[in-house]
Amino acid sequence: MTVYDILDEWGVSESEYDVIDEQAIEEITLGASILATGGGGDPEIGLLWAKGVIEAGNDIVMVAPEVVPDDARVASPGTLGAPTVLTEKPPNENNLRHAFGELEDYLDEPIDASIPVECGGVNSPIAYAAAGELGLPVVDVDGMNRAFPELQMTTWATHGVAATPLVSVDDHGHTCVVDMGDRNQSAETVVRTVAMEYGGISWIASYPMSGAELKETSVLNSQSLAWDLGRAVFEARREHADPVQRVLDVIQDDRDIPCFKVFSGKVVDIDRDFGSETSSGFSTGKVELEGIGDDDGQTAVLEFQNEWLIARVDGEVQCLPPDLLSLLDPDTGEPLRTDTIRYGYRGTLIAMPAHERMRTPTGIETFGPGYFGYDESYVPVEDLQEASTR
Amino acid sequence: MTGVRIGIDVGGTFTDGVAVRDEAVLAKEKSPTTEDVTAGIVGALDELLATDIDATTIEMVSLATTHTTNAIIERQDLDKVGVLRLARPTGTTIPPLTGWPRDLRAALGGSENVAMLHGGYELDGTPISPLDEEEVRDALRSMADTVDAVTVTGVFSSIRADQEERVAEIIAEELGDDVSVTLSSEIASISLLERENSAILNAAVSSVMRRAIDAVRQALDDRGIDAHLFIVQNDGSVMDADYAEQYPIFTVASGPASSIRGAVFLSGIEDGVVVDVGGTSTDVGYLVEGFPRESTMTVTIGGVKTNIRAPDLTSVALGGGTVIKSGADGFTELGPESVGYDLQRLARAYGGPMTTVHDVAVKMGRLAADLDIFDTPHVRNRERVEDIDDAVAEAAWQAIEARLERTIDEMKTDPDPVPAVVVGGGATVVPESYAGTSKTNHPEHFEVAGAVGATLAEVAAYAENVVDLEVQDRQDGINETVRQATDNAVRNGAVRETVEVIDIEEIPFTYMPGEREKIRVHVKGVYGGIT
Repeated sequence: MTVYDILDEWGVSESEYDVIDEQAIEEITLGASILATGGGGDPEIGLLWAKGVIEAGNDIVMVAPEVVPDDARVASPGTLGAPTVLTEKPPNENNLRHAFGELEDYLDEPIDASIPVECGGVNSPIAYAAAGELGLPVVDVDGMNRAFPELQMTTWATHGVAATPLVSVDDHGHTCVVDMGDRNQSAETVVRTVAMEYGGISWIASYPMSGAELKETSVLNSQSLAWDLGRAVFEARREHADPVQRVLDVIQDDRDIPCFKVFSGKVVDIDRDFGSETSSGFSTGKVELEGIGDDDGQTAVLEFQNEWLIARVDGEVQCLPPDLLSLLDPDTGEPLRTDTIRYGYRGTLIAMPAHERMRTPTGIETFGPGYFGYDESYVPVEDLQEASTR
Repeated sequence: MTGVRIGIDVGGTFTDGVAVRDEAVLAKEKSPTTEDVTAGIVGALDELLATDIDATTIEMVSLATTHTTNAIIERQDLDKVGVLRLARPTGTTIPPLTGWPRDLRAALGGSENVAMLHGGYELDGTPISPLDEEEVRDALRSMADTVDAVTVTGVFSSIRADQEERVAEIIAEELGDDVSVTLSSEIASISLLERENSAILNAAVSSVMRRAIDAVRQALDDRGIDAHLFIVQNDGSVMDADYAEQYPIFTVASGPASSIRGAVFLSGIEDGVVVDVGGTSTDVGYLVEGFPRESTMTVTIGGVKTNIRAPDLTSVALGGGTVIKSGADGFTELGPESVGYDLQRLARAYGGPMTTVHDVAVKMGRLAADLDIFDTPHVRNRERVEDIDDAVAEAAWQAIEARLERTIDEMKTDPDPVPAVVVGGGATVVPESYAGTSKTNHPEHFEVAGAVGATLAEVAAYAENVVDLEVQDRQDGINETVRQATDNAVRNGAVRETVEVIDIEEIPFTYMPGEREKIRVHVKGVYGGIT
């Protein structure tokens, strides 16, 4: 079976899918990094893999969620573990084929499509690489429309779809099938422990669900948003235009999502909490920016736990999780990441609302300010910006 | 009299030479860089000998050269490289040479001589797979007669290198001693693909480096010079020429590094920024205890991503030859075009048509005294300079200052002012002081700082380990790493007693429970032949 057989079966016509070429995968990966809120890590390994899959003659095809039949079965491929280990130990080409096969066996059902779990980092392009290798379409959705560090932090989970049954494999073909019912947080602990036992990195097939569930619980059209953003930034670079403005144009005008240019500044201090990395596995700290241009004389503080979480300007809260913050290099539009940001970097901070499916009461409980240990109650970024005295 | 040290620094525009004894610069020369880089080096040497330097007093000769960089960028004279990766079953999604520019891949013999074999280690030192020696021999036999060099890259070889070392023995058995061998564990640190790329590039420039060193040795011999030959490496320290033949990739950023070391020596400033101004661009580096701060980012060479250690530099398109653009409303833009390659024909001050940074410096009164080392005076045609509109000159001067201030600021790690040392042939065409700096120093001999830097016979070395703090004492881990780095320095020629630690870096592993961290140690010492 090729991907086109599946599309035939679903009755998808040629105008209803996109073939993802090397340029497209670069654009999607850049756009996803912009949505990754400073987290997700370096996508390089996934990008090289996806380009290799394309170069080897496999077609990677993306479809809109609407064309996925209700009774189709989809699942999310990805990697979970330590990014440092991944840079030293890229995967065997069969890992995700193996994980998907074992999941199909356990479910006793074939899987028809690949769904990216998040925007940003290595998992973004990996969903495409896996789709190309397995002959499955990628669906234009994801589980958060940003990056978050843990398995249970998805709209799928907060809308009642379990992360398990899940298959975790390593390069030797070792296999763990995890079936924890709806205990997603426990599943996260188990799967991370397995990853450590595998030598620091694991390859997973997770969140098996039906086409109907997919449509009811995902962040829809998030892949095409990432693609539009990446394409706009590459275009701005070629035309020497303002890449940040192009990003705002795509989000506000094309997608009709409110998006705010919160602050322009340069990094004057980075306070990394090194102790926490070894205890919790999270990279935490805060970055202080001194205003430039219109924001001269003001100070912004960004707190991060792998991702940017809270932005304050002169003490006033500007954005709270799960709403999105992105700090972009004003010259190149390249997103600045929490793990690589340095003193002296210039950044323009933009904020936008998380998808409505991220903002349910269960969502706020799962990835709102309280989950990350902050005292603030969640207030939508639109309200914060409207009330702002700045 | 003995104890004369010769330093030669090959730049894009000029090849600089100096003769130094103790702290004193005895002679300095600047000659245009030639297409045959070795000929330019020998030319610079001869110019120095034509002053009154006695060949028999020369004790060391040290080169900061662009041979390897040029070979990679121009895809010229590269060796055919066999590539062994010890990783199976891991790593097969991304074979060696993935993402390389096609022409460079072809220049190394293409992907024919690539083998992904069983081997490698996990993070804790347990084998991913044992080495399959027959598999290694089969791979080598299939590339016999087609490769000049072979690289070996094992997963986590920076933690355990014994598989790589065993494969080196097998290569010697199968292919003989004429095939050069590069082990990735001796080249770079964690990050398999970048380390493998670094090792492959190292292997590819083996012959280029060996031929350059042979030619310079011959030239020294012919001139009756009996001196140690050193090559400057990327951190600004030097390595013995024999060692450089094995590790030529360590020279790709030696020019800027040498300038930074020279700036330290000439100014006495050990912590701060170094601004190296050339004809077309300016490199800004950062000094930490007398050595250039290392880049933590990927270093791209000839279109290939590597993780070799290189100085953390920001390069801006601003030099003496950078073109000043203006329109009806006055000054518009600074560059990025430059006429640095032919400043003395094209710039206004020499009667040419273009307004350059050089001309604005003259107009603003910054460039007053001529430097003897350049063949022509800085201003041959003052009227042409006076014709520049006052407002344009003023605005351009402010733009130059702002661009350098921003670059300096981006290199700093905190807002406190730091000293700035301005060196290079173009040092006199940029402003004298900058916001964010405590003082600006234009040391004597600034125009040949790179060549002076080459004469400082300091030997540096590194070592790196991953420790699990739950089972190993942190201090033991650090001590062991310092010991390895010291051994490496001694192997590079340092006197053991003089070796001291420059920097200890500890990097925790993220997204992982437990307490693993990477320890990296950088040491320096004085070379045995020189005291």
